[in-house]
Amino acid sequence: MTVVLQTDGLTRQFGQLTAVDGVSLEIDDEEVTSIIGPNGAGKTTFYNLLTGVLEPTSGAIRLRSDGELREITDDPPHEVARRGLSRSYQITNVFEGLTVRENLRVARIAREGRTLDFRSRAGSNEAANEQIDWLLELTNLAEYADTECDELSHGEKRKVEIALALAIEPTVFLLDEPTAGMNPTETRKIVSLIHRLNDEIDATFVVTEHDMDVVTDISDRIVVLADGAVLAEGEPAEVLADERVTEAYLGSEAL
Amino acid sequence: MSTHDDSVTSRIGEFTRDAVRNGWTRERCVVLLSLGLLLFGVVAPSFQIYLFTEFLIIALFALAFNLLYGYTGLLSFGHAMFLAGGSYGLAIFLQESEPYVSNVVGAGPAPLVSWVLGAVFAVSLVIAMAVPIGWLSVRLEEIYFALITLAFGMLVYSVIIQNPQGLTAGSDGINVLLGVTEIGGAEFRLGDRQIYYYLTLGIVGASTYGIWRIVNSPFGTICKSIRESPERAAALGVDVRFHRWMTFIVSAAFVGIAGVLIAGLSNVASPYHAHWSESATAVVATVIGGATYFAGPIIGAFVYLYARWGISRYPALEAHWEFFMGVLIILVVLYFKVGAAGGLYMLRTWLLDVQAAYRRGGANAAVGFVRESATNKLRRDSDASESDTGGVER
Repeated sequence: MTVVLQTDGLTRQFGQLTAVDGVSLEIDDEEVTSIIGPNGAGKTTFYNLLTGVLEPTSGAIRLRSDGELREITDDPPHEVARRGLSRSYQITNVFEGLTVRENLRVARIAREGRTLDFRSRAGSNEAANEQIDWLLELTNLAEYADTECDELSHGEKRKVEIALALAIEPTVFLLDEPTAGMNPTETRKIVSLIHRLNDEIDATFVVTEHDMDVVTDISDRIVVLADGAVLAEGEPAEVLADERVTEAYLGSEAL
Repeated sequence: MSTHDDSVTSRIGEFTRDAVRNGWTRERCVVLLSLGLLLFGVVAPSFQIYLFTEFLIIALFALAFNLLYGYTGLLSFGHAMFLAGGSYGLAIFLQESEPYVSNVVGAGPAPLVSWVLGAVFAVSLVIAMAVPIGWLSVRLEEIYFALITLAFGMLVYSVIIQNPQGLTAGSDGINVLLGVTEIGGAEFRLGDRQIYYYLTLGIVGASTYGIWRIVNSPFGTICKSIRESPERAAALGVDVRFHRWMTFIVSAAFVGIAGVLIAGLSNVASPYHAHWSESATAVVATVIGGATYFAGPIIGAFVYLYARWGISRYPALEAHWEFFMGVLIILVVLYFKVGAAGGLYMLRTWLLDVQAAYRRGGANAAVGFVRESATNKLRRDSDASESDTGGVER
């Protein structure tokens, strides 16, 4: 077991509100970790802290890159991504006006540090093209390769969302609500996709998810956030049997 | 990697084959267009050459502006400052250093050599302006970016009007006279309309090709991703602010080239070129033409200049030409959301469909297709306007 991502007393306050409250976690590279919690538990803020979108009020974040844990607490988003932490979005955030292939090309150009290449033609790098074709196959997007994203269905866009984040070859991949807005069929497809990706790709998966069936299906370990703090963590069966967890969910989401 | 021959001769051979092959290949269009443009300088009357030269320069201005607007998603409202930077860079260089150049290279080639050096100096000056101005401006986005560039533009304008150290000659501007060049017994005047047309054609052509390569390069792909979603681009490892800054500088440099050319055409580096209304010219030309198409700004510049010229031929209308320009813009914005270039593209697709119908079933089928598409279009428009007016339930 190797720790790839570590937070140490991570805290973020908005005025009087403490959205994330002293979260200390270690993410292991051999497990799929799910972070769950009722609405407003601080999951999205936690992701935004990890990816450098928000700065923490206190605490530290460390990410394994080049074989050792390095602090990324104050790095801006693009630095965090370059160090190997990638994310997908709960609200689909792809390059709508570009084709699926062009979307992935953006990620490859960024990954290979060719953003200031004026001279060559986009799409002329054979190694990058092979990588993109492989990803398209893996995520079942090959038939949509040359379709603009704004013409895709919601389910297909969610796949582009995942493929984009993977295209930069991350060490740690944070999926934010991968099945958001999906019907049961689409949800099953995404779940089997996540299983396949986890087998084939050398990245550690961290998932937030509201669908408990999905959570129990894909996770080796569950972390429960409530009011910004870690309420419970451990193996799925054990955590879901925990009374405090049931209480946190029912307490805030009882209809 | 495929093993194709990359030598220049084989490329030219390939190009020529494509150009003379049956059918309207892209190569053939390029060859015919180039021939037409070359011939234009010989056959057209002098004023038309002047007007077309102005169109080419404004087209380059709008094209460079669109690198930042249509491709990167930043609306600059102060790009005229770089047009003025190019104009004044050339004018000041010619004014101050022509005698020295003449001493070094002799009086014969001096005007041409001075112009070349002046152009290089002017573009360098523009880049030197764009580096700090861009660095500060790209900290802001959207309307704030438009406002800060507008403010910088007005700052440059007022500096020019103030005439610091007697450099800019205030509101008069500096005359730019391109004198007679003599090389090896051959004499020509660079400022001659015909010669200046070919000079402009060459430079604008090369710059257009350069911008086209840039938008199709990895750099350009990143620009487009920033236009679509800066947040996502950053999450993939793109330094969004830095990339916007670089695009700002590249865009400004090409506008500087347009500035050099406009000074030689109008024979003056005038503060008018720095005025915000000149910045608006690039915005309007791009919107008329369609920012999402590479050729949009070129077509927009054409429509803008020739509409203005057409109006100016009628003295009664000329006094109010801005009114007609306003009507034109309203029409484009309301009915051609993709601009004139988009309109032409749709027209081309439609004509190809008509042609296909004709091939299938002769004239009757073609007429039928035209009628059907016209009624469909009308129906769609009325549907759209109904749903626009509050979505009336039927």
